[in-house]
Amino acid sequence: MSSPKIPTARSGRVESFSYDDEIVKLFVIATMIWGVIALLLGVTIAFQLADWRVNLGLPWTTFGRLRPLHTNAAIFAFCGNAIFAGVYYSHQRLLRARLFNDVLSRIHFWGWQLIIVSAALTLPFGITTGKEYAELEWPIDIAITLIWVIFAVNFFGTIVRRRERHIYVAIWFYIATIITVAVLHIVNSLEIPVSLFKSYSLYAGVQDALVQWWYGHNAVAFFLTTPFLGLMYYFIPKAANRPVYSYRLSIIHFWSLVFIYIWAGPHHLLYTTLPEWAQTLGMVFSIMLWMPSWGGMINGLMTLRGVWDKVRTEPSLRFMATALTFYGMATFEGPLLSIKSVNAIAHFTDWIPGHVHSGTIGWNYMLIAGIFFYLVPKLWDTELHSKKMAHQQFWLATIGLVLYIISMWVAGVTQSLMWRAMDDAGNLVYPNFIETVVKIVPMYWIRAVGGTMILISFILMMINLYKTAKAGKKLAPVVYESLPLDDSSLEPHASVHRKLEGWPMIFAVLSLIAILVGSGIEIIPSLVADKYVVKVSTVKPYSPLELYGRDIYIKEGCYLCHSQTVRPMAHEVVRYGKASNAAEFVYDHPFQWGSKRTGPDLARIGGKYPNMWHYKHFYDPREVTQGSLMPQYTWLFNSKIDYKTLPKKLSVMKQLGVPYSESEITNAVAMAQAQAKTISDDLAQSGVPVKVAEMDIIALIAYMQRLGVDYGSSQEGEE
Amino acid sequence: MSQGEEKEKLHVEEDEKHLLLDHNYDNIHELNHPLPSWWNAIFLVSVIYGTAYFFYYQVFGGPTLKEEFHTEYGRVLAAQTEFKKLNGVFSQSFYDGIVKNDGVKKGEEVYELNCMPCHMENGKGDVGPNLTDKHWIVAKGNPDSIHHVVFHGSEANGMPAWGELIKKDEVYQAVAYVMTFRNTFVKGKEPQGEIVED
Repeated sequence: MSSPKIPTARSGRVESFSYDDEIVKLFVIATMIWGVIALLLGVTIAFQLADWRVNLGLPWTTFGRLRPLHTNAAIFAFCGNAIFAGVYYSHQRLLRARLFNDVLSRIHFWGWQLIIVSAALTLPFGITTGKEYAELEWPIDIAITLIWVIFAVNFFGTIVRRRERHIYVAIWFYIATIITVAVLHIVNSLEIPVSLFKSYSLYAGVQDALVQWWYGHNAVAFFLTTPFLGLMYYFIPKAANRPVYSYRLSIIHFWSLVFIYIWAGPHHLLYTTLPEWAQTLGMVFSIMLWMPSWGGMINGLMTLRGVWDKVRTEPSLRFMATALTFYGMATFEGPLLSIKSVNAIAHFTDWIPGHVHSGTIGWNYMLIAGIFFYLVPKLWDTELHSKKMAHQQFWLATIGLVLYIISMWVAGVTQSLMWRAMDDAGNLVYPNFIETVVKIVPMYWIRAVGGTMILISFILMMINLYKTAKAGKKLAPVVYESLPLDDSSLEPHASVHRKLEGWPMIFAVLSLIAILVGSGIEIIPSLVADKYVVKVSTVKPYSPLELYGRDIYIKEGCYLCHSQTVRPMAHEVVRYGKASNAAEFVYDHPFQWGSKRTGPDLARIGGKYPNMWHYKHFYDPREVTQGSLMPQYTWLFNSKIDYKTLPKKLSVMKQLGVPYSESEITNAVAMAQAQAKTISDDLAQSGVPVKVAEMDIIALIAYMQRLGVDYGSSQEGEE
Repeated sequence: MSQGEEKEKLHVEEDEKHLLLDHNYDNIHELNHPLPSWWNAIFLVSVIYGTAYFFYYQVFGGPTLKEEFHTEYGRVLAAQTEFKKLNGVFSQSFYDGIVKNDGVKKGEEVYELNCMPCHMENGKGDVGPNLTDKHWIVAKGNPDSIHHVVFHGSEANGMPAWGELIKKDEVYQAVAYVMTFRNTFVKGKEPQGEIVED
């Protein structure tokens, strides 16, 4: 590297240093391995939705267990490793300093891989907190915190030792990422352990939902957006050899993006029992977020001004330009979906997974591909193995993604219109939920085919990059020389923001403040105000057996296909029953409202069907609902209820504020056994063998029959 | 690391040379184009719209989601009440018309699609009661009372209100088909409810 010319006024001893590119290579390799696994899992669960038999009848291969593994692998393993690779490569160069500490870098790398492996060893076995994108249990949560802190120390330590006064816009985005992800992860993961593999969320119901979607939305913002914008700001100008379009736009869109993004979480909870002012804030801030998001797209695409011919020929630029285009599309669709009346149609439908994948595939995967086509030849000092292969990959991925997005638009809108169709008599036109499912199964097939194309495109990239690296040489690290930082680089007459770029720690504090404003205003009232949720006296805690059944519900990932919240809309109330009330959820640690209705809502399922219906339905859903996509849960019929865990579960719930009495905790086992006997006696009348009384299925039926009953039958809380 | 990476000259267009800033990070330079005017305009409009929307709905008494729901649901309830009034009461003459018009055969199809999962083939019962014996829980074994249960359901026994789910004709056809089970005493679920003599 011909480092920028050293100002003559600068004094001091010339320092020699080299960059740690070995750690970057490790993260690159990990990205590729986890990437293909994440996509393979995605394709698997896509086929499971098209044909239930792909669930294979095994607990650990069922949709509810694999879906969290897919999302965690895609976000934290694939995108996470790519972020670390790109950040570590660019950070050193932008600051002209080697990473703070090589050992910390290695702990960071191996620690993160260990976290991913432990995710793969827990999620398929149903060890989960039941909160979307935050499913990992408490020991892993602690490990994530530790490794993130190590990343932060390494990152800020490098800043301290920098030889470049000012920090470039890429680093602004990295700073915002590191700080915000730490805040989000810690606040959302507060939970009390029941055992090594089980915990209950500190928050309940509406509060838990608010914290979870503040986290979930901002995981997209600060894990899948800001770090990638930072990477874009480094790799696009490098690969295009062009100056960044507008420094001014960088400043405005960085601060507006960081400040506004954090408010938008409640748009995931529109029409729920979250107080309406918070819902409205979530919506309007999402709309205001449109232009700040597009600021990044403009700055990226306009940087390519004058070199568009290279976008046609250079795989690196072609993928990055496409990524920005999909980013622009997804960040227009996001604000659109957050408008209440649009959300009323799109929420709970397949439109949402379609939207998500235009982000994760269109933006993250495409950008990572673009970055790696630049980075891997640099790291291994060689040329890209095959441009032709990269272009084939490009078309496969693009067409696959377009199939994915369009099929999900069609599926989402079709199903939603069927859900809400009512005739003049006030009756539903499609009262059987299954009719609306059967209709969109062809779209599930198209989506699975699109996903398979994306998987194949990724495998092409793996081969291409592997061959590139294999043809490369291992060189001794290049030694650079530079003078240490001194006062000569101060710009006394610079603008305020330019000065701020010379004070990275103050910059970090200001970004922290920027994200705490929205977080505080939306979340603190829910945690401190007594009247946030008006209690309803008929709502009582779950019985021990029901609580046990609820844990099975969480373990099997039922919340990934079933919601538990009836929105205040006529067609929902006619279909499901009374609209939900915040008071119903006060004992729900964690909340289980869900975000997708692949199957019907279950908020009012209690008492709707006889026990025997559930018994048959869990064994083989198609026996009672022809055309159902739901997997069989046969293993629940021969795994025994672990009664001895109950007192501990109840006492943790009591700690969390659920009013269980001491005698209930002491007698939990006896109470549960008595309730189980009532249910199994009822089933026995239809010829079910008596030994079933000891099995998990009984607890799950108990939970089903309790859902929504307390409030559903009450006259309180009506407005 | 390739030593040749910086050989290519930075590409700056003629019309933007004056916008090039004196910033250099690892040979990344920055221009300082003004913000696009359409970008400014849309951002401004979105902020004004967002603020106005929030204040209208949350401060100045715009309709809440609940109020909008109650208006909408009120209309639906009125339509449903009207519908039940018109169709929820058994009409012997309508029933006779349905039976004459191939009602039993059509009813079999309705039964298979909707009733079979719980009452099983030939009405022998499983989740729902056996329909072939003399015992009845809610209905009384005649078309009028069976129609009432089919149409309005029985919440306590897990029977859905089919009047809201299937067409008026279909309810009557199902009743006609169920009437053919009468006293066939198919072996299935044990008798439930009270004996109703003919």
